[in-house]
Amino acid sequence: MKPLFSALLALSLITPALATAADYAVQPAASTLGFAGTFQGAGFNGTFGKWTAAISYDTAHLAASKFDVNVDLASAKTGDKDRDTALPGADFFNIAKFPQAHFVTTNFRQVGAQVVADGNLTLHGVTKPVTLNVSFKPQGKSAVLDVTGTIKRLDFGVGGGDYADTSVIAADVKITAHLQLAAK
Amino acid sequence: MSLRSDNRRWGSVARFFHWIMALAIIGNGIFGLLMDEASGPMQKIKWLALHKSIGLTVLALFLLRVLWRWVDRRPPDEPGPRWQQLAAHGVHGVLYLLIAAIPLSGWWFNSVAGKPLQWFKLFNLPALAAKNTDISDTVFAVHEYLFWFLVAVLVVHVGAALKHHVFDKDNVLRRMLPFGRPKNRL
Repeated sequence: MKPLFSALLALSLITPALATAADYAVQPAASTLGFAGTFQGAGFNGTFGKWTAAISYDTAHLAASKFDVNVDLASAKTGDKDRDTALPGADFFNIAKFPQAHFVTTNFRQVGAQVVADGNLTLHGVTKPVTLNVSFKPQGKSAVLDVTGTIKRLDFGVGGGDYADTSVIAADVKITAHLQLAAK
Repeated sequence: MSLRSDNRRWGSVARFFHWIMALAIIGNGIFGLLMDEASGPMQKIKWLALHKSIGLTVLALFLLRVLWRWVDRRPPDEPGPRWQQLAAHGVHGVLYLLIAAIPLSGWWFNSVAGKPLQWFKLFNLPALAAKNTDISDTVFAVHEYLFWFLVAVLVVHVGAALKHHVFDKDNVLRRMLPFGRPKNRL
């Protein structure tokens, strides 16, 4: 076994890409996935109650890191009855046809002091590249992960037709995730 | 044509306030009743936004009008029975109250319903009260009943003005008409 161990050790030293990032389990009670939009000049905040995220992250091995997030769109709540009735409908998320949104990273980059995650978001049957800012703070065996980004709702056809008027419903939707992570 | 009112007629500022507000109030009242005719939710959102913007404009005009009324003199009452003069002033007082109360009750309804309030897509106004959807139906009823009360008072106001114009052939309506000339007093 000894020669094999040495060989593996040598291999891992010369090919750091093979190093795996640590897997984390999301602590749902302390984690939130939110979105923020603007309606008639006033901001509103929403949250998704049901979602799952597979998080592998290593600050030293960004290339081995990966986020894979599934969101149950029916769980969106914004605190306004009219809006919460409209969101699952055919004009917005159309959950009857597209019940889930999916985000998976394709690459992590260091931009100055900021870590940026590139990925693909599939929402309302449309897949587009999305870039998110990542803030990862290790806390012993656990960690806090904050992710923010902005998407254009019309890129995904959310609120099309009559609702495409961005002077009433703004084009930009801000995505915010706050994840409390525990090492697996 | 003087800006200020004189002995014979209302000044052009007072007449402007009267007629522009009459147009906005009657138009916005009818518009409000037609809200449910919108072809879809987005059209209703846009119509409501317009209704609110016009209502806020009426409220702003009301404040300017009261300010002007305070600065301007008013023409003396036309000759007539004292009770008619008092009734006219009473009706005018109630109209002023309703012109302020109806937009304010709409603003209050919008606030308790938790909706944004934007003036012609230009700027937003704060809520008058905290969101409380439990009372929003009641506040909406207040808004609507105040409007129907206004309709009743307007019937008296317009009816009296027409009675003076058509039957008495006096100066009461003429001195408020936008382009009409008041008769020379004998």
